[in-house]
Amino acid sequence: MTLKLLQLRALLVLLALLAVFAALSPAFLTTGNMTILIKHVAINAILAIGMTFVILSGGIDLSVGSVAGLAGIVAGALLNKGLVLTKWGVVVYFHTWLVILIALAVGALVGAMNGWLVSRIRVAPFIATLGTLYVARGAALLLSGGATYPDLAGRQELGNTGFLQLGSGTVVGVPVPIVFMVILAGLGLAIALRTPFGRRVYAVGGNERAADLSGVRVKSVKLWVYVISGFLAALVGLMIAAQLASAHPATGETFELNAIAAVVLGGTSLSGGRGGIGGTIIGAFVIGVLADGLILLGVSEFWQIVIKGLVIVSAVVLDQLQDRQAQRAVALLRSNS
Amino acid sequence: MNYRWLGALCLLTLLASCGGGGKKSIAIITPSHDNPFFKTEAEMAGARARELGYEVTLNSHNDDAHQQDQLIDVAIANRAAAIVLDNAGADASVASIRKAKAAGVPVILIDREINVNGVAAAQIVANNYQGASLAAQEFVRLLGEKGNYIELVGRESDTNAAIRTRGFHDVLDKYDTLKPVGRQSANWSQTEAFQKIETMLQANRNIQGVIAGNDTMALGAVAALKNAGLSNVVVVGFDGSPDAIASIRAGALRATVLQPAATIARMAVDQAHKLLTTGSTGAPEKQAIDCELVVAGNADQFGVFARKESK
Repeated sequence: MTLKLLQLRALLVLLALLAVFAALSPAFLTTGNMTILIKHVAINAILAIGMTFVILSGGIDLSVGSVAGLAGIVAGALLNKGLVLTKWGVVVYFHTWLVILIALAVGALVGAMNGWLVSRIRVAPFIATLGTLYVARGAALLLSGGATYPDLAGRQELGNTGFLQLGSGTVVGVPVPIVFMVILAGLGLAIALRTPFGRRVYAVGGNERAADLSGVRVKSVKLWVYVISGFLAALVGLMIAAQLASAHPATGETFELNAIAAVVLGGTSLSGGRGGIGGTIIGAFVIGVLADGLILLGVSEFWQIVIKGLVIVSAVVLDQLQDRQAQRAVALLRSNS
Repeated sequence: MNYRWLGALCLLTLLASCGGGGKKSIAIITPSHDNPFFKTEAEMAGARARELGYEVTLNSHNDDAHQQDQLIDVAIANRAAAIVLDNAGADASVASIRKAKAAGVPVILIDREINVNGVAAAQIVANNYQGASLAAQEFVRLLGEKGNYIELVGRESDTNAAIRTRGFHDVLDKYDTLKPVGRQSANWSQTEAFQKIETMLQANRNIQGVIAGNDTMALGAVAALKNAGLSNVVVVGFDGSPDAIASIRAGALRATVLQPAATIARMAVDQAHKLLTTGSTGAPEKQAIDCELVVAGNADQFGVFARKESK
C-alpha cells in the first residue's frame, strides 16, 4: 500500500514536470525529443535498476560509474589494439560479440568482488564499493594510459565491426538503449516481484536476522545483487562508448549519484526492504526530464544543478511529511477506539 | 607489533626520500592525466627536467585546490628545488603558491594564470584569447559568414572557459548574419556534450555550426550530429588534442587550435633551471605563447600538442 502511494507521488512529480516543460517549450512534446529524452534516461535507468536491487538488500553500490568507465575502456582496448600477448608475440582480435561479453564479464567480476567483500568479509557496503570505485577507475586509467580509444567502429578485415550498434543502432525504429531499458525494467520487475530470489532480496533488506533464521542464504543473496549491479553498469559503459564511438577512462564519474537519486526519488528506502523497480524507473525519468527540459529552455548550467538538487530534496521531504501524517492518523484512530 | 612495522616503514620512507644522493628535484603538479593535454605537459616537463639532471616527481591535483595545497606541502617538505604547476584555480591557488615562495621554493605556473602578480616566479600560458579568436575566425570562414550556431562552453568556474568564450564572441558578434541559437556548458566532457547537443537539436534542427571551448566537447558534438544525420554541420574545437587532429584528418571535425603545451612545459623547466643557477628566469613573469590553427590542410604537420620536428 505504502509502495503504491510512493510511486504515485513520484509519478505526479513527473507529470507536473512534463506539463510545465510542454507549456514552456513547443519542441518538448515532439516524438523526436521524447525519443532522445528516453534514450538519455535509459543510461541512468539501467544503472538504477541494478542499484535498486542493491539498496533493497540493504546495501549501496558506489562503484557503478567507475565500472561503466572500465567496461568501456576494456572494449575500446580489445577493439582498437586487440589482446597483445607479448610472450608469444601475437595480437589476438576478438569478434565483437566476444568483446562485449568480456567487458560485461569484467563488470560482473567487479560486482562479485563487491559482493564478496560485503557478504563474506563483512565490510560495510559504503566502504567496500567506495574502494572498488577507486580501483576500477584506476584500472581504467592504467589500461589506457589515461588516453581515449578514439575509434570503436572496428575493422572489416578483423571481423570486429558493429560495436557502435549498441549505442546508436535501432530495433524496428527504436534506439537500442531504449530497447535495453524496457527489457531490463521488465526483467527487473519480474525478478523482484515474481521470483524467490526477489522475495529474498526484500527479506534480507527488511530484516537480515529474521531472513537468516528463516533459512534465506543471506550471503548468496548479497553477492548476487552486486553482480547484477556490476553487470548492468558494464552494459551502460558499453552503450556510452558505442554512442560516442570512443572510450574515455573518466566516463561515468558521478553516475552513481544519479542512479542513487533515481532510486530514492522512486520511493525505495535507503535502509532496504521497501520500494521497487517501478518507482526507480519513474525516478530516472524525473531526473532525465528535468535535465533535458532545462536544456531546451536554455537555462544556465548553474541553475540546472540547483533545481535538480531541490527536486530531489523536496520529493524526499514530501515522503517524510506524508509518513508522519500517516503515523499520526493511525495514532489518532487508536486513541479514539 | 603492528606499530613497530609501521614505524620501520615510516623510517624507511624518510631514508628513501633523503637518500636522493644530493640531486635536486623538481615537483610537477598538474590536473588529472586522464586528459592527454595535461599528461603531455607533465611528461614533457618531466623529460626536460631529467635531461637537465633533476629528480622528478609527477603528481595530479584533480582540479581540487585542497589536494593541490597538500601536494605543495609535500614538495616543500621534500625540499624540492622548484615546482612546475598547472594550478587548480586562479584565486584558490594563490595562498599555496605564496606558502611555497615563503619556504624558498619558486613556483613556475604553466597553462593557467593566477589572479595575483609577483607571487609565482613565472606564468607561462597559451594565449587563450588569441587562440579563441583564431578558432572563431576560421569558424566564420567555414560557415561563409552566415548561419545558426550553438556554443558549448567549458566548466563555467574555470578561467580559461571564460577567456575562450570571450575570444569567440569578440569575433562572432561582429557578424549580424551569424545567429547564436543555443549556449550550454558541457563541463569539458564528451558525454555531456553529446547528450546536450542531441537535446538542443530537438529544439532546432536548423544548425550550421557548433563551436566548442575544447576538443573533447567538440568530438561529443561531432558524434551527436553524425547520429542525427547532420554531417555537414561545421564543428570547431580548441586544444589540438591528438584525437581532434585524427578527426580533422578523417574530415569530421573541421578545425581546432593547438595549444603549444609541450613547448610551454619545456620552457617552464628551462626557466626554473635558469632561476636556480643564475638567480633569474631571464623572462618577464607573464608570458603568453600563441596558439596555432589546425585544419585539414595542415593537420599532418602536428604531433602531440606541438608542431612535429622537421627531419
